[in-house]
Amino acid sequence: MIYFIADLLALGAINAIMAVGLNLQYGQAGILNFTYYTFVAIGAYVGAVTTMGHPPVPASEETFILQWSLPWPVALVLAGVVAGVLGLFMVLVVIRRLRSDYLAIVTVSLGFIVWDLITNYVPLFNGANGLFNIPYILNGATASETTYTMEVFGVAMVVLAACIWVVRSIFRSPYGRVLRAIREDEVVAASFGKSTTSSRVWAFVLGCVMAGLAGALLVFYVNAWNPQGFLAEESFILMAAIVIGGPGNYWGAVLGTFVFVEVLSEVERYLPNFGNGALVGAGRAVLIGIVLIAVVRFRPDGLIPERWLHWYRSPLRGGPGGEAGSQPQGGRRGRLGMPRLGQRGES
Amino acid sequence: MNQLAEAVGFGLVDAAVIALAAVGLSLQVSVTNFINFAYGDFMSFGAYVTYAANSAGLNFFPSVAVGAAGTGLLGVASNWVVFRPLMRRKSRTLILLICTVGLSFIVQNAIVMIWGPNAEHYSVTVGNALHLGPFLFTPGDLILIGVAFTLLLMLHIFMQNTKFGTALRATSNNDDLAQACGIDTGRVVMWTWAISGMLCAVAGVGLALETNSLRPTTGFNELFVVFGAIILGGIGRVYGAMIGALVIGILTEVTAMFISPVYSGALAFTVVIVVLLLRPQGLLPGRGRSA
Repeated sequence: MIYFIADLLALGAINAIMAVGLNLQYGQAGILNFTYYTFVAIGAYVGAVTTMGHPPVPASEETFILQWSLPWPVALVLAGVVAGVLGLFMVLVVIRRLRSDYLAIVTVSLGFIVWDLITNYVPLFNGANGLFNIPYILNGATASETTYTMEVFGVAMVVLAACIWVVRSIFRSPYGRVLRAIREDEVVAASFGKSTTSSRVWAFVLGCVMAGLAGALLVFYVNAWNPQGFLAEESFILMAAIVIGGPGNYWGAVLGTFVFVEVLSEVERYLPNFGNGALVGAGRAVLIGIVLIAVVRFRPDGLIPERWLHWYRSPLRGGPGGEAGSQPQGGRRGRLGMPRLGQRGES
Repeated sequence: MNQLAEAVGFGLVDAAVIALAAVGLSLQVSVTNFINFAYGDFMSFGAYVTYAANSAGLNFFPSVAVGAAGTGLLGVASNWVVFRPLMRRKSRTLILLICTVGLSFIVQNAIVMIWGPNAEHYSVTVGNALHLGPFLFTPGDLILIGVAFTLLLMLHIFMQNTKFGTALRATSNNDDLAQACGIDTGRVVMWTWAISGMLCAVAGVGLALETNSLRPTTGFNELFVVFGAIILGGIGRVYGAMIGALVIGILTEVTAMFISPVYSGALAFTVVIVVLLLRPQGLLPGRGRSA
């Protein structure tokens, strides 16, 4: 039981790091990144190949690059850096020219290409079989499972705290206001002389660094990684969790991820497998889809709206909800801005 | 040379399937102005409903009609429940896009819940391969190409020569103006979802026939090839989508034959990215919508 709770907490903390990073990209900067988990995977692979050293058994037939045996904190930082650099490349290529929804398509496509490459090009990260026997960090090799889980939880909490501190500083800084202004209306932000491209690029890169950190921690914790671990679906679920929790508000993102990624998958693991063998997992995904659409429809700012973060300056603005524009304007109106006649429910 | 001709022949069959799906999606995008990530799962849904009707004892072609009708209804229903309220609230494109992802989750996994995760097969045979000139086709392939051609021709006539087709084109061009001219755009949008659903169901059946297996992820995996086609042709341009489908279909088969089938998927994605970056309006001249 203690192990179960510790496991939930450790994975929850790691997922929360991803949530905070993705939320910086989507919630703050308004970049729809549908391949966030690719960066988590990159972090995981880098964390693995820089700590594993040479394959322990010559006959194990694991082939991968680097084969360094660095201390794990260095590997962790390296994972963040590599993910960030890849994110920088990707975003520089695509961000200038594309409307946000086509940007989303490009991110998915790039994710698929990376996935294809890693799966089919074996010398890179051992192809479809993936990496295993990734070393434990700290005293994990000798400690009991529960102790090790608690230790990973501790490390993840430190990283999570650092990430939250960073996004909180960004949120309250002039840079954060520029990001939100760009998210609401890029043209207006640009006309005030703000560099919309570079602001968004850095937010994206920072989000990718957090993905890399989370990925490395994840791989230190679960000790194995393969391409089945970062299918497109993972990014979609993470994105759904953020939208449900409250895009723009890092607490909302953390909550959404914890409930919809973490708790639901644990419930899935402990439910008996009835029906056609995939019923429970599919039911979870259907549930996520329904909740996602319901939240967008009936509570568009998510369960914990962004405006709750503005409590600290509410006296000047008369209660929570200082920032304009987070609420869609012109709710129940017709296309041309005039109230439509003959609609049910209003007269 | 012979191999190349064969690859082009396979590409034509691919193109017929992709063209049906791409035209359907393009029609929907041009009217509603957002990309639909659930479209691939609509394809799977149509193929599965066809499979169910066929297993229940119906002949194959009536089953396809049932599948098409079912998917058309699914499109209309999702417009009614999900997209219409959001459009009316003038939600941002990003939000609509995320909702289509949610819808994709629901449809794909509902299929798993109903029909199970394993591959299914239609109980029809496509016949033995025939040599037609340099090409190699099965009779099933020929029927597929014929059906696709007929449906697209019918759509063309419908779009150009009926009052409703004109209303549809007007709505896709400028919906506020169309509404000001007295066109009931809500009705146009509804029928667009229905038509696009029907087309993609037929495409889904074609896809399942062509690959001889039907999985819950069949349609979703094809989705980005369809995206590639509509992006090549210019987003929201129905006729461009047909040409895009032809290019993508032949290109993927030729690469599969000469480089490696493993990378043909990656090629489609690369085409998507390169075209979006270099020529976002598509290959045909004129104004597109992506920039």
